[in-house]
Amino acid sequence: MVNEMKSIAVVGGGAGGLIFANTMAKEMSDDIRSGRLKIRIFDGSVHHEFQPGYLSVAFKGKNPATMRKYLSELVLPDVELIPENCSRVDIDNKYVVTEKTGKKFGFDEVIIATGSRPDYSQIPGLSQANHDFHTSASASAELFKRLEKIRWGRIVTGIAGLPYKCPPSPNESAFLLEEYFVRKKLRKDVKITFITPFLRSYSNETVNSVIEPMLKERNIEIITGFNLESVDPEKELLTSMEGESVPYDTLLLVPPHSGAPIFKGVEYADEDGWIKTDKYDLHVADYENAFAIGDATDLPISKAGVEAHLEAVVVAKNMISQMQGTGERYEFTGRLQCSMETGYHQATFVIGTYDRPIERIQPSLYNYFQKKLMERIYWASLKGGYEWLFKWHFGEDYYRKSGKEKPPMQTPKVQNV
Amino acid sequence: MTKTVVDSRGTACPGPITDLIRAYRKSANGDIIELLATDPGVRADSKAWCERTNNELISLEEKNGVFTVEIRISGKKG
Ligand SMILES: Cc1cc2nc3c(=O)[nH]c(=O)nc-3n(C[C@H](O)[C@H](O)[C@H](O)COP(=O)(O)OP(=O)(O)OC[C@H]3O[C@@H](n4cnc5c(N)ncnc54)[C@H](O)[C@@H]3O)c2cc1C
Repeated sequence: MVNEMKSIAVVGGGAGGLIFANTMAKEMSDDIRSGRLKIRIFDGSVHHEFQPGYLSVAFKGKNPATMRKYLSELVLPDVELIPENCSRVDIDNKYVVTEKTGKKFGFDEVIIATGSRPDYSQIPGLSQANHDFHTSASASAELFKRLEKIRWGRIVTGIAGLPYKCPPSPNESAFLLEEYFVRKKLRKDVKITFITPFLRSYSNETVNSVIEPMLKERNIEIITGFNLESVDPEKELLTSMEGESVPYDTLLLVPPHSGAPIFKGVEYADEDGWIKTDKYDLHVADYENAFAIGDATDLPISKAGVEAHLEAVVVAKNMISQMQGTGERYEFTGRLQCSMETGYHQATFVIGTYDRPIERIQPSLYNYFQKKLMERIYWASLKGGYEWLFKWHFGEDYYRKSGKEKPPMQTPKVQNV
Repeated sequence: MTKTVVDSRGTACPGPITDLIRAYRKSANGDIIELLATDPGVRADSKAWCERTNNELISLEEKNGVFTVEIRISGKKG
């Protein structure tokens, strides 16, 4: 039980922010209802989208509306949703400022969960030329309409720059494009090229050894070590930093990503706006009352929903145990799990932890069904549902008990400012 | 000429090469990138990367499990 009024600000209501806030709300409902604990989530988006679903919208024509829900429907009643982005997160002085109305909200603890976003400014010409399957359900739907009109030509897909979220998604786009044009009986007239700045089709050798032969077998051209410098939309030409060029008729690249712009220039983030985060307990820089989860962190692991989920659980568990005085401490294991659809109802996974190298997993129908199952349970999981299933599935990677006790929380100084 | 130290110690493949590629985007010909890594894969990867992108591998050393790779950026078309 929390003895004094405590306030937690969650900046960003995506996968990580929602799972954190809703987990807290479920476990600490008595304290919230009695006014001893306040949880606010800040996010100006009207909808939250199931981002892995963009691929099915872009390459299979799935209805984009099925990939989104109102954010307000995903927040449990014990959490207060402030429907605005934050323009400032001042950890030293323990307050956030909202972007539109400029209101100040004090906090005792803050969770930064602002995700990642495409940064088209890094590559001149890319935003004009690109058909983005990776950023919104509506853009993916536009792409599908365009694909339906294509009868011939060269489609270039792949990685425009680093980092970006969901590492397997560019490879998936190549596999799904191939399947699409085979089914349309147009494959021989449509050339598919995959470009990547890495030296292999998939950055990690183990995963690459599974998928590169498949890409080759399906006659997908692979250009590795290609550092895209600029795109000429008029000439339909890509140019690399080393001066190589690749022509295209349709361009579907995953743009490089950066953190939320509000963190550029703050001392607890790096120059690209990624939050300096402890890889185990996820505290921010030297702060004890600030945590970062999900894509927003600078952690050396892939940016993906599974990480956001497990990190949210670790931060919530630590806060709950501290508030309840149990002394238990939990750590993030670095578990990553990204699905990669390889076409024709097959999928593989990229799975590893901080301590365990990425596994070799052959594509299978069973993996594909697991991926589809996630689509089914995603919305409920954001509200803390099916946690037993995740705990069972991830086993010892779900979290690690660290045993190190943290001193009880200090009396909060700031309430609502 | 600027020298950038890229510290990828403790990250597994593709961490070091990811960090190298990110630093490369921000560099100009003549700059030096010093990449520190503990993943042994960096040895083969950094050599192959320099060959592929026409950048110059100045040195590659290992000391107490830490690889130090020095690369002179020379492959950019200008
Ligand atoms: C095509 C595609 C396929 C994918 N497939 C997979 C997969 O198979 N498996 C997997 O695990 N992951 C996958 N992902 C990645 C996954 O969706 C993301 O990594 C995950 O959503 C990250 O969660 P997050 O909470 O960090 O960020 P997000 O869910 O992106 O949420 C960030 C939130 O922060 C808000 N925000 C931003 N700035 C501010 C601000 N200043 N103030 C307040 N709020 C702010 C945004 O509005 C947003 O709602 C995929 C992604 C894509 C694009």
